[in-house]
Amino acid sequence: MAGISTHVLDTDRGRPAAGVRIDFSILEGTTWRLVRSVVTNADGRTDAPILPASEARTGQYELVFHVGDYFRQRPGTAEADIFIDDPVVRFAIFDAQQHYHVPMLCAPASFTTYRGS
Amino acid sequence: MDPLGLTRRSLAEFGLGGAAAAASAGGTLAQAGPGGAGAPPGALAVTPTSQAGLGPRLTLHAIDNAHGTPGAGLVCDLSIREADAYRPIKTVTTQANGRPADPLLVDDGLQVGRYELLLHVGAYFAALGVALPSPSFLDLVPIRFQIRDPRQRYHLPVLFTPWGYSYYRGS
Repeated sequence: MAGISTHVLDTDRGRPAAGVRIDFSILEGTTWRLVRSVVTNADGRTDAPILPASEARTGQYELVFHVGDYFRQRPGTAEADIFIDDPVVRFAIFDAQQHYHVPMLCAPASFTTYRGS
Repeated sequence: MDPLGLTRRSLAEFGLGGAAAAASAGGTLAQAGPGGAGAPPGALAVTPTSQAGLGPRLTLHAIDNAHGTPGAGLVCDLSIREADAYRPIKTVTTQANGRPADPLLVDDGLQVGRYELLLHVGAYFAALGVALPSPSFLDLVPIRFQIRDPRQRYHLPVLFTPWGYSYYRGS
């Protein structure tokens, strides 16, 4: 399987982060063009791939995770504790035949991403 | 056997193998530092630094988790969000200890706002001679965070490899 997928985890609570909006963009020239916005399901994943295999091309891609809104809606988080509001991940598809799983682990003041599988 | 998986694995092995060879040419594994084969080390002689008790400031510490060294020679562009765009403030380069020579912002320079620190991770690993696919998975890595209280001290550790990174509010 090729394409792009993600998985958002709330490492502060040790559970999937559901209801996180993700804006997915592609770099065209010097401009990021929004391709689609998706929302994570109860498992912290998206129901459909962020980029299906049929659309996979080499190029530069961007994911913006709106985790600030997620933390605000979650009980028990003070606004002042939100250090990381809308983190962005920019990465390349260098081989369109491969799959790019880009998980993101978040807490109000911590962020991690990596190429997963 | 998945041929694509094999390709990816051999790329990774070759990449870190290349850096290890450069390190070995310099003498010890601690010699892995930017600037190419045989370059001076990223210095494991450096010791942890406490910033407890210091005044308001924004400080950075970059760690190269692929080599287990400070991220020395990493170029970072700091900017602040104004309306819909990020306005550049300054560009710094980390020293041998993985920290810029001066705080990114200090005292009155520390303003409430949304900031972005753009890390030149692709150039960093290219300078080390790490073999990576082209284009590399990560190149310019944006680190976004907020400063809400200019009376506080903000420390920003960033741990990075060619394949991932982590950052958080430290102390």
